[in-house]
Amino acid sequence: MDLTFTHRFVKVNGINMHFAEKTPSFTDNGASRPPPVILFLHGFPELWYTWRHQMVALSSLGYRTIAPDLRGYGDTEAPESADAYTSLHVVGDLIGLVDAVVGDREKVFVVGHDWGAIIAWHLCLLRPDRVKALVNMSVVFEPWNLKRKPISMFKSFYGDDYYICRFQEYGEIEAEFAKVGTERVLLEMLTYRNTGPILLPKGKSYDDPVSLPSWLTEYDVKYYVSKYEKSGFTGPVNYYRNMDRTWEMMGAFSNAQVKVPVKFIIGDQDLTYHIPGTKKYIHEGRFKSHVPLLDEVVVIKGVGHFLHEERPVEISKHIHDYFLTF
Amino acid sequence: MTSEVREKKIKTNGIWLNVAEKGDEGEPLVLLLHGFPETWFSWRHQIDFLSSHGYHVVAPDLRGYADSDSPPTHESYTVSHLVADVIGLLDHYGTAQAFVAGHDWGAIIGWSLCLFRPDRVKGFVSLSVPYSPRDPNLKPSDLFKSFGDGLYITQFQEPGRAEAAFAKHDCLTVMKKFLLTTRSDFWVAPPNTEIIDDLEVPSTLPDWITEEEIQVYADKFQKSGFTGPLNYYRAMDLKLQELEILAPWQGYKIVIPTKFIAGDKDIGNEGANGTIKYVKGEMFKSIVPNLEVVVIEDGHHFIQQEKSERVSQEILSFFNKLRNITE
Repeated sequence: MDLTFTHRFVKVNGINMHFAEKTPSFTDNGASRPPPVILFLHGFPELWYTWRHQMVALSSLGYRTIAPDLRGYGDTEAPESADAYTSLHVVGDLIGLVDAVVGDREKVFVVGHDWGAIIAWHLCLLRPDRVKALVNMSVVFEPWNLKRKPISMFKSFYGDDYYICRFQEYGEIEAEFAKVGTERVLLEMLTYRNTGPILLPKGKSYDDPVSLPSWLTEYDVKYYVSKYEKSGFTGPVNYYRNMDRTWEMMGAFSNAQVKVPVKFIIGDQDLTYHIPGTKKYIHEGRFKSHVPLLDEVVVIKGVGHFLHEERPVEISKHIHDYFLTF
Repeated sequence: MTSEVREKKIKTNGIWLNVAEKGDEGEPLVLLLHGFPETWFSWRHQIDFLSSHGYHVVAPDLRGYADSDSPPTHESYTVSHLVADVIGLLDHYGTAQAFVAGHDWGAIIGWSLCLFRPDRVKGFVSLSVPYSPRDPNLKPSDLFKSFGDGLYITQFQEPGRAEAAFAKHDCLTVMKKFLLTTRSDFWVAPPNTEIIDDLEVPSTLPDWITEEEIQVYADKFQKSGFTGPLNYYRAMDLKLQELEILAPWQGYKIVIPTKFIAGDKDIGNEGANGTIKYVKGEMFKSIVPNLEVVVIEDGHHFIQQEKSERVSQEILSFFNKLRNITE
């Protein structure tokens, strides 16, 4: 099994973007039809690397797989301006990426998880003409709501210690993370198994030992740590700091539906599945009313937030089975 | 003539817009978006004409104007807000897809609507202002700097400056300076001169507008002021408004059927590199492939008033064609 990835850089939307690529090693019986492309969108606090298993599996099945570090993450440029992290910026990057490396009229398959899922929903609203189909994971599509400005909503639901509220003040959480140490911070997040909301009260201690789950190796941790030690947490955290700004910019989509074919996958131990109202939203019709082409919802038992790393083979199969139908 | 126009307030995107309306509510909806510094009244001829030819016509006072709400800060006047206002209106009427016509700033809103929500637009007529796709290497504020301080857009940036300059004239005079202008340059004033002082009022009124009609505008602006309208220009300088929010549509082709109408003497048509040349050129055709262009001889900026019959006919025939209706 070929575990090598090609690493490339391309200038898009004013930033230098890094992406990993894995293409099929065989050619399709000589016919010069380009392989279908899958664009993978990672979440927080991750990198392109989170998709390594899917990229290996799916490229061997004939897909051209592309996984960028999103703006602010890893080896992709992190703009200085804290305001440059709205969904419109990130979607602009991705359109630039697809234009540059796939073609400027081409549609791609998209796979998203966590923040990557949010970006994928917005990509489908803003540029449905570029998405063939979407497999999205963990985070459902929330229609824009005039009465629900994000940060004040989180504050009233969960209080000031809610991690998203704690991320708002520029520099503050970065300083706390620095005290705790990059590796410890990443381990805390990657191994989070609680189904309740993430609360980060100030002065919380991080002394309890953390053991690696079976799906996360020492090598994996080293890779994440080395990248986060280099590029830091500001870029990634800035996404949370721009949630209100994105909301202000998306008023034109207040009743808009996602009009792209979608398969949605979530683990039943994922904290997002346990957000009050979510199960009902997913299973009793409202999710489908906002995403009319929601073809399938899969709930995987016993699996947490990082489902594609926990059950890579199963997730890759779900992705391939779905995209095969197009 | 306009006595049967109904006016009402509609809540959209968190604000109240005053909307003029005429025609049978069961008919296809036409949304008319005015420019600067105007009101729905600029569309009075088209409102009557289109409503008597089978359309339900809706013409708002845009955010910041006349009897509509005027949020205080210029941050609330980005194209995102303006497009969201329009979508809210279409939602109010339950219109899945509307025919849209926009003039000047209304045209900018219309083009933006074609990017953000092409699913809500059946066809779009732009008067005067073409689609300006984002150039990632050129910020609007840098482009405008090249014209110097005399450019009206530059003069409109500093909060209070243009308001103070306008206030030196009574509102009727201000309106005459704008509505009756026959200048075709990009409105650049000489050094140390405010554009409002540089614009001239002709000694006699042209035949397409009356003193009473200009007074209608003057009365509205006397009451609501010019800050709301000027905020549109001030929002252009915002980091986000510096076209970063349009990044998702880099290279996008507007495939919705569109028609561009302008007078050959409109602002920006002076000289070889004018707007009309741009609109008829290959570059524009490549990004707006489904486009008709109509140039009206001897027409100036406020074209739907100055050449009302022609503009009304051109709009009607375009929308009718899209409905497969021929005269």
